[in-house]
Amino acid sequence: MKQRLAAAAVLGLSATLALTACGSSSKPSSSSGGSTSGAVAIKLVAADYGTGPANSSQTYWQHVADAFHQANPNITVQVQTIDWNDLSSKVQTMIQNKQYPDILEGLTYAQYVQDGIAYKASDVLDAAALSNINPIFAKAGEVNGTEYGIPWTTSSRAMFYNKKLFTRAGISSPPTTWDQLKADAKAVAQKTGKTGFGLPLGSEEAQAESLLWFLGNGGGLTDASGKYAINSAQNIATYQYLQGLAKSGATEPDPATKNRTDLWQQFAQGDIGMINGSPALIPIIQKAGVLQSSGYGVVAVPGKTGPLTSTVGVADYVVALDKGDHRAAVKSFLDFAYSDQNQLAFDNEYDLLPATTSATNSMSGNPQFAGFVKNLGTATLYPSSQADWSTVLTAIQKQIGTAITGDPRNVLDQIQQSATAGQ
Amino acid sequence: MSSLSNLPPRRLGRAAAPLGWLGPAIALIGFAVLWPVYEMFRISFQHYSPDGFLLGSAGFRNYTKLFQDPNFGPIMLRSLLWVGAVVGLTMLVSLGVAQLFNQRFPGRRVARWALIAPWAASVMMTAIIFRWMLDPNTGALNLLLRDLGLLSKLGTSQADWLGRPDAAFAWMIAVAVFVSVPFSTYTILAGLQTVPAEVYEAAEIDGASPSRTYLAVTLPLLRPAILVATLINVMNVFNSFPIIWEMTRGGPGYETNTSTVYMFNLKQNFIGQSASMSVVNFAVIVAMVLVFLRVSNWKKEVA
Repeated sequence: MKQRLAAAAVLGLSATLALTACGSSSKPSSSSGGSTSGAVAIKLVAADYGTGPANSSQTYWQHVADAFHQANPNITVQVQTIDWNDLSSKVQTMIQNKQYPDILEGLTYAQYVQDGIAYKASDVLDAAALSNINPIFAKAGEVNGTEYGIPWTTSSRAMFYNKKLFTRAGISSPPTTWDQLKADAKAVAQKTGKTGFGLPLGSEEAQAESLLWFLGNGGGLTDASGKYAINSAQNIATYQYLQGLAKSGATEPDPATKNRTDLWQQFAQGDIGMINGSPALIPIIQKAGVLQSSGYGVVAVPGKTGPLTSTVGVADYVVALDKGDHRAAVKSFLDFAYSDQNQLAFDNEYDLLPATTSATNSMSGNPQFAGFVKNLGTATLYPSSQADWSTVLTAIQKQIGTAITGDPRNVLDQIQQSATAGQ
Repeated sequence: MSSLSNLPPRRLGRAAAPLGWLGPAIALIGFAVLWPVYEMFRISFQHYSPDGFLLGSAGFRNYTKLFQDPNFGPIMLRSLLWVGAVVGLTMLVSLGVAQLFNQRFPGRRVARWALIAPWAASVMMTAIIFRWMLDPNTGALNLLLRDLGLLSKLGTSQADWLGRPDAAFAWMIAVAVFVSVPFSTYTILAGLQTVPAEVYEAAEIDGASPSRTYLAVTLPLLRPAILVATLINVMNVFNSFPIIWEMTRGGPGYETNTSTVYMFNLKQNFIGQSASMSVVNFAVIVAMVLVFLRVSNWKKEVA
C-alpha cells in the first residue's frame, strides 16, 4: 500500500515537472502592464555606440528614458543596450523566441515589415517630426512607398591619413586615384614599416569598406533598377585591384579577418597610414592622444580615376514593433526622443551626424563635421529597404573578405547567388 | 508468462512499482533528449523566415540546399580532420604524460594537481587567452619572436597566426588538444594503476625489454581505459564549439568552420537548414560511435 502511494506520488511529481517545463516556451510575456492599470512599461533595445563603460549608450538612453518618465509618469521605458558585435545575433534570438522589444535601434528593419510586426513610421511619430527627418535617409526607410524605418543617427565616410607617416614616406599630398593610393601605401609600408592602408574586410563592417571601393569603380551593391548586382564586372575588377593591393604588402596581413574597430584603434595609435572612416573615428584619435588634430587629414575617398563624388552614407534606424497595445506609449516616447536636444546630445557624444534636418543644420557650422555633413546630401546608402537585406548583409559580412585570397569572381558569384535565391 | 494486462489490479500495481523510481529519470530523458531530437527533425522539414516565423513545410528542400551548398563538403571533411587530429594527438600525448605521472618523483602530487588546470578552466576563457597570445601585433608569442629576432624572418603575413585559415586551424587543434589532455591522462592513469605489479615482475623474469613490456603488457591492459577516453573524446571534440568560435568565429569566410560551428552560423538566417545540419551532425555522431564500438568490440572489453 505504502509502496503504491509512493509510486503514484513520484509519477505525479515527474508529470508536473514535465508539464511545467513544457509550459515555459510561451508567447511574449504580458508582465508589462498594459492599458488596464494605466501604467505602461515599454522596452527599448539599442546598439551600444560607446567605447567603454564611461560613455555607454545605456547611460544616454537611460537619461532620455528618465526625463521622459518624469514628463509622463505612467509610462516606464526599460532600456537595454547591446554591443555592436553581438547586436544582430542577440536581437535575432529575441525575435525568434517572440520576446521582442517595442522599439529597436541600430539594425535593419525591412524583414520586420515582411514579418508583419513593424509599425508604420506615421503610426509612431508625429507628422511634424517625421517631415523633419533627412529626406534621403527617410526614403531609404521606406518599403513599397511606406516609411517604416526611422533614421536615428547618420554618418558618411571619408579617408583619414596620417600626415607624419606621409612626410616620412616622402608623400606630399594625399592620393585621389587608386594608382596613387597603391603607390603611397607601398611607400608608407616600405619606408616606415607601418601598415600603408588599413583594409577592414572582417565580418564587423565588410559591407561599408566593400561598397566604398565598389563606388570608386562605378559599381555598387545594386544596379540602377534596385536589384542586387554584387557580382558585376566593376565589382569583380575592384576586388582584383584590392587583391593586388593586399599582395603588394601595402595593407595589413589577411584583411579578411581584420575588423574596423581594431584597425581604427591602430590608426589612432599612429600605426596605419590611411584608412576609411566616419566622424566616429575622431574621438578615438583624440582619446589615444598620439595624433594631434594637425597630425591627420581627412579627404574624399579615392576612386579608380578620381575621388568619389558620392560616398557611403550610413543610417541606423529605429523601428517600432507591434506587441499589441503599446502604440500610444511608443509614439509619445519617440516624439520625445526625436527632439533636437536629444538628437544633438547623442551625436555630440558619439561624433555621429543627426537624422533630423533641423539638428543637422545646427551642426553644419562645426568645422570638424562640416565636410561629413556636406557629403550626406549626395550619399549612397545600403539597399536597406529590401526585405532580405539582413540575410544578404550577413552573407557579405561573412564571405566577401575571402575574395582577397580566393577568386573574386567565385566569391562574389556565391554572394550574389545567395542574395537572389530569396527573390 | 502472462502479459501485464492480464494481471489482477494488485499485482499490476506491484509490477509497475519500479516505474515510480524510474519515472523521474524516464521523464528527464524524454524531456531533455527525445523531445529535442523530435523537434530537430520536425524543424528540419519546415520553412522558417530568418526571424523565426513559420512559412510552411519545406519538404526536403532544407536538405537539398544544404547538400548543394559549396561550403558543405569542405566543412564535413574539415570536421573529420578536426576530430581525427585532436583525438589522435590527445591520446598520444596522454599516454606519455600518464606514464610519467605514474612514476614516483618528488612533487608528483603538485604536478598531478597542476594538470587539472586546463580541464578546470572554462574552455571559452582558455580560447580567448590563446587568441590574445596569438595576436599579430601585441600577442605574447610575436613579442617573444620579435625579441628573439625571428619575427622579421617570418614576415608579417606568416606571423598573423589566426589570419590564415591553415595556421589558425593548426593552432585551434593545439588548443583543443591542450584542454582534452587532462581528462584522457587521468583516465589512462587510473587504468595504469589497475595493472598488477606481478605482471611486470613476470615480464622482467622472462627477460622482456622495456619497450616490449610496454607494447605486450601495459598497452593491452590499458585497452579499456583507452577505449573509454577515446570514445568520450570523439563525441566531445566533434561537438566542440567555443574554441573555434572564440578564436576565429569560423573565419575567414567559412574556412575554419566545423559542422558544429556551421550549424550555429546557419541558424542566424536559415533556421530550417540549420536544423538539417544538426540532423546530419546527429547522424554522423551516431555512426561514428557505432563504428567505433563495433571495431573495438566494446561489449567484451568494457561492459
